[in-house]
Amino acid sequence: MTVRSFTHAAEVGGLLEGLVLETHSVTALLISREGICLSKAGLTESLNSTALAALVAGMFAATREVANIVGEEHFSILLQQGEKRNIHISLIGDRFMLVVVFEDNSRIGLVRMSTRRISSELQAILLRKPDESAEAAREALSMPAFREYAMNLVDQIFSVGAGGDSDAASGS
Amino acid sequence: MPHLDLDERLVTFKIVYSGPGFSGKTTNLRFVHKTLAERYRGEMLELDTEEERTLFFDFFPVFLGNIDGFSLRFHLYTIPGQVYYEASRKIILQGADGVVFVADSTEHRLEENVESFIMMQQNLAEEHGDISDFPLVLQYNKRDVEPRLEIGCVERHLKMEPGIPVTESIATTGYGVMNTLNLVSKEIIRRFRV
Repeated sequence: MTVRSFTHAAEVGGLLEGLVLETHSVTALLISREGICLSKAGLTESLNSTALAALVAGMFAATREVANIVGEEHFSILLQQGEKRNIHISLIGDRFMLVVVFEDNSRIGLVRMSTRRISSELQAILLRKPDESAEAAREALSMPAFREYAMNLVDQIFSVGAGGDSDAASGS
Repeated sequence: MPHLDLDERLVTFKIVYSGPGFSGKTTNLRFVHKTLAERYRGEMLELDTEEERTLFFDFFPVFLGNIDGFSLRFHLYTIPGQVYYEASRKIILQGADGVVFVADSTEHRLEENVESFIMMQQNLAEEHGDISDFPLVLQYNKRDVEPRLEIGCVERHLKMEPGIPVTESIATTGYGVMNTLNLVSKEIIRRFRV
C-alpha cells in the first residue's frame, strides 16, 4: 500500500492567506481529490471543513462525469451563487481543488483572477520533490510501532462488545 | 490511498461500504455513528432521495486518537447501490483504502449481490490494477431474514479464492456491525507502509 504525503502546509497556507486578504473572501481551502482538506485560511472555525471537503470532492468528480458526457475532459471551474455567500471551486492539476468562499458578488472577477494566478504556484509546490516527502514520512513514522498502536486503538474503539456484537468473523 | 500530512501530523484512511441497493450500507454507518462516543466522531452527512436510497453518498469522519504525535482518522463512506448510479459509485470508490461489501442475505438477492460485487471489483481494478491484496471484507447482512442465503454462496458463485474475511450481521440491531468495521480497519492497517 502506498501513501500520499503532504509536507507543504506553511507555503500553501501562506498563499491561501494572501488570497483571502486580496479578494476579501471569507475563507479559502485546498482539498484533495480524495476529499481531504489539506490547508485552510480565513474564517474557518465555524465551517465544517471535513464535511465540506468530502462534499466538494464528490461534487467536482460528478461534474467531471457530466463534462465527459457532453464531450469535455473536465470543467475547470465551478461557481455556486447564494443569497449571502458564493463558492468558487477551481481545479489545481488533476488531484487538488481550491475552494474560495466569498460574500460580495461583485468580486467574482477578482476571485477568478486571483485563484488563476496562484494556481500554478500551488501546483508547483504540490508536485515538488515527492521523493523527499516520502523520505520525511519514513523518518517521521516508526512503522511497526505505529501499526501496533493503531491496531490497539481499533480494538478499543471499534469494539466487538458494542451493540450486542458477538464473534462473527470467519475466513471462508 | 492513505493520506499522510506531515505538517498537521495526520494519517487518514478511507473506508467505503459497497453493495447492492437496500442491502444495509447506510444502516451500518448509522449504527457506527450512533455507537461511537461523541469525541470519536464527526457529523454524519446523508445525501439520499425521498425513497431513502442513497443518491450520492453518506459520510462521517472517525477520530481514533494519537499515535506518536500523529492523529489517526478514518473517513467512512457509503455508495449508492442502485445499478443506475454507476458514475457516483465510481467516484466515491476512488481513493478507497478498504471496502466493506454489504451483501443482502435475502435468498432471492444472490444475483444482485454477485452483479454488484463484480462491478465493485471492476471499479477498484480500474484504479488499483491487481486487487488480490486489496483490504476487503464481505459482510452477509440481514441474517434475520427467512429464507436466507447460505454463508459462502456469493464467493462460490464468483469462484473466488478462499481467504476473504467474512462477517455476519443484522445492521438494524447492530449485530456484527462494529466487528466488520474492526476487521476492515485492521486489514488496512496491516498493509499500511510509508
